[in-house]
Amino acid sequence: MKRATRRDILKAGASAGLAAGLAGLPAISQASEKLKIGVVYVSPVSDIGWTKQHSLGVETIKTEFGENAEITVIDNIFRPQDAERVFRELAGSGNDLVFGTSFSHGTPMQKVAPRFPQTAFEHCSGIKHLKNLGTFEAKYFEGTYVAGVAAGHVSKSAKIGFIGGFPIPDIVGPANALLRGAQSVNPDITCNVIFLNSWFDPGKEKEAAKTLIAQGCDVICSMTDTATGVQVAGESGAWSIGYASDMAAFGNGKHLTAFTLNWAPVYVQAARDVAGGTWTSSERWLGLADEVVQISPYNADLSDEVVAAAETARRDIASGALHPFAGELRDQGGTVRVEAGQVLSVAGIRGIDWFVEGMIGKLG
Amino acid sequence: MDLFVSMFAATIIAATPLIFAALGELVVEKSGVLNLGIEGMMLAGAAFGVWAHFAGLPMIVALAAAILAGAAASLLFGVLALTFMTNQYAAGLALAIFGTGVSAFIGRGFGSTPVEAIKPMNLPWLSDIPIIGEMFFRYDPLVYFAFVMFGVVSWFLYRTKSGLALRAIGESPDSAHAIGFEVIRIRYLAVMFGGAMAGLGGAYLSLVYTPLWVENMTAGRGWIALALVVFSAWRPMRVILGAWLFGGMTILQLQGQAIGLSVPSEFLSALPYLATIAVLVLISRNRQAMTLDFPVSLGKPFRPKG
Repeated sequence: MKRATRRDILKAGASAGLAAGLAGLPAISQASEKLKIGVVYVSPVSDIGWTKQHSLGVETIKTEFGENAEITVIDNIFRPQDAERVFRELAGSGNDLVFGTSFSHGTPMQKVAPRFPQTAFEHCSGIKHLKNLGTFEAKYFEGTYVAGVAAGHVSKSAKIGFIGGFPIPDIVGPANALLRGAQSVNPDITCNVIFLNSWFDPGKEKEAAKTLIAQGCDVICSMTDTATGVQVAGESGAWSIGYASDMAAFGNGKHLTAFTLNWAPVYVQAARDVAGGTWTSSERWLGLADEVVQISPYNADLSDEVVAAAETARRDIASGALHPFAGELRDQGGTVRVEAGQVLSVAGIRGIDWFVEGMIGKLG
Repeated sequence: MDLFVSMFAATIIAATPLIFAALGELVVEKSGVLNLGIEGMMLAGAAFGVWAHFAGLPMIVALAAAILAGAAASLLFGVLALTFMTNQYAAGLALAIFGTGVSAFIGRGFGSTPVEAIKPMNLPWLSDIPIIGEMFFRYDPLVYFAFVMFGVVSWFLYRTKSGLALRAIGESPDSAHAIGFEVIRIRYLAVMFGGAMAGLGGAYLSLVYTPLWVENMTAGRGWIALALVVFSAWRPMRVILGAWLFGGMTILQLQGQAIGLSVPSEFLSALPYLATIAVLVLISRNRQAMTLDFPVSLGKPFRPKG
């Protein structure tokens, strides 16, 4: 770490004074200076998956700001105790904007942010936002609904399978929406669910996919960070749905589509706002309409009719005409959770801990 | 019946990487050395196997590359723990972390392309027998090779003079040294054998089981293999049984979730560990059975006297 010289201290004092003059907005002190951005990834940037999609977002900042942005990337920071040190260091070394890209970065960011009021913090998958800590999250369930419509058309056994990491709302919601999408085509479709209870285990994911296929599922949606589910489905002649990145290369020609994550608009907007001095912390929940959740190219073997049906669903969700959790919505036990004509509330979706009718599996 | 057959086959395959890694570690521990770095060596094998595969080399060469990578990684441990006599626990843990990092570096750029997996064998006539064919004759060659290695390790440890020497060194390196065995050299060979087997287990994951490369793709299997050696009470046959028990329970719990068993998935996911612990407790009741094959000098550095 650089040792602070007297000049640094004077500089810090001057910029603090200037920022105070700007009504306490965390803006960069001098317009001529480079915008300094720090990004923390939860894993190394692999070739596909969660962190890759974040790195693509960071790339767009580079494209737009070029020489005017200096970006520091620190990867493979998962444990909160490491993360706190890293965030403090990034903020302390003068970054104007700091991104955390994992739920596990939440608590450290909440600790560090109040001590660096001049720094803008942005947290993906965050649930708590502070004066200088904004949060953003994707509406994954909008993507799975569209994929579900395609799945409903191609499933011959009327059974689809879903593999998730842990039974948390961000995964239970998309699983429910996948089935809702499929049921919009064929109301009798059911969905078997397996939770790995691990964020990452390709071997277990393979066995889960094989097990679901053995149960008669002929479409597999794997909301994990590897392409294993897609690969196993392809080998067994079942359709697959990818997550985060397009996984068609792994699908053996049976990759239906993928619901992919495009964080570029979020990253660029935050950088622009900080550079312009207009950044304020906000809570964003972005989906198909914002192009943060996207549907990757459909399988070329799908008929025009299937693609058209999925595209209609995508457009209608984006425009607000269709809501994946619109009533009448019953849970696994047949109890009506959402009355006809209403939709599940935001709080209801973000905290969803129940399965819709037709899901096969048990939530703790 | 179909369900049973498919679960049986899945168990055999899931157990294979564990069997490779645990048999290797068994030999290492029998020589009195504790190498905790299996996870790192498996990852090195997995990454170098994929690297060789994408370099266009034939599969057999890719496997050889994985074996060499595992052995080379174990050599690092060997130099630290055997030549410089550092603490074996620390050196092993360092190897686990080092292997994770190196494999991530080697694997850069390979994650977006699937690997052309080693295909299951199709034996004429045998593979076509109903049920029996599927249960026993439709695996990839490495599954059978795991059994060959089980035979080789058992034979070596208990039927050869070298095996006896290795076990003697694990029991009392000083006595073995006094009657003229080169303790350090034999321990080096054991450590490298363990590394080679771990590398092969890793390559089984990246080239056969889940034919793709992702960082950290062993997902803890190196540690499971380490635990299996203790579970086996240092006996090769029990390594195999332990790997099957663990693999079988994993398959069973996934099956339970898929059919919608009315039990929370968190509990089902814990089942393989609970079952393994339960069996371990049952075995441990017989104290003699647990300690009979325990290499007494395990984890202790050896300094030749005189």
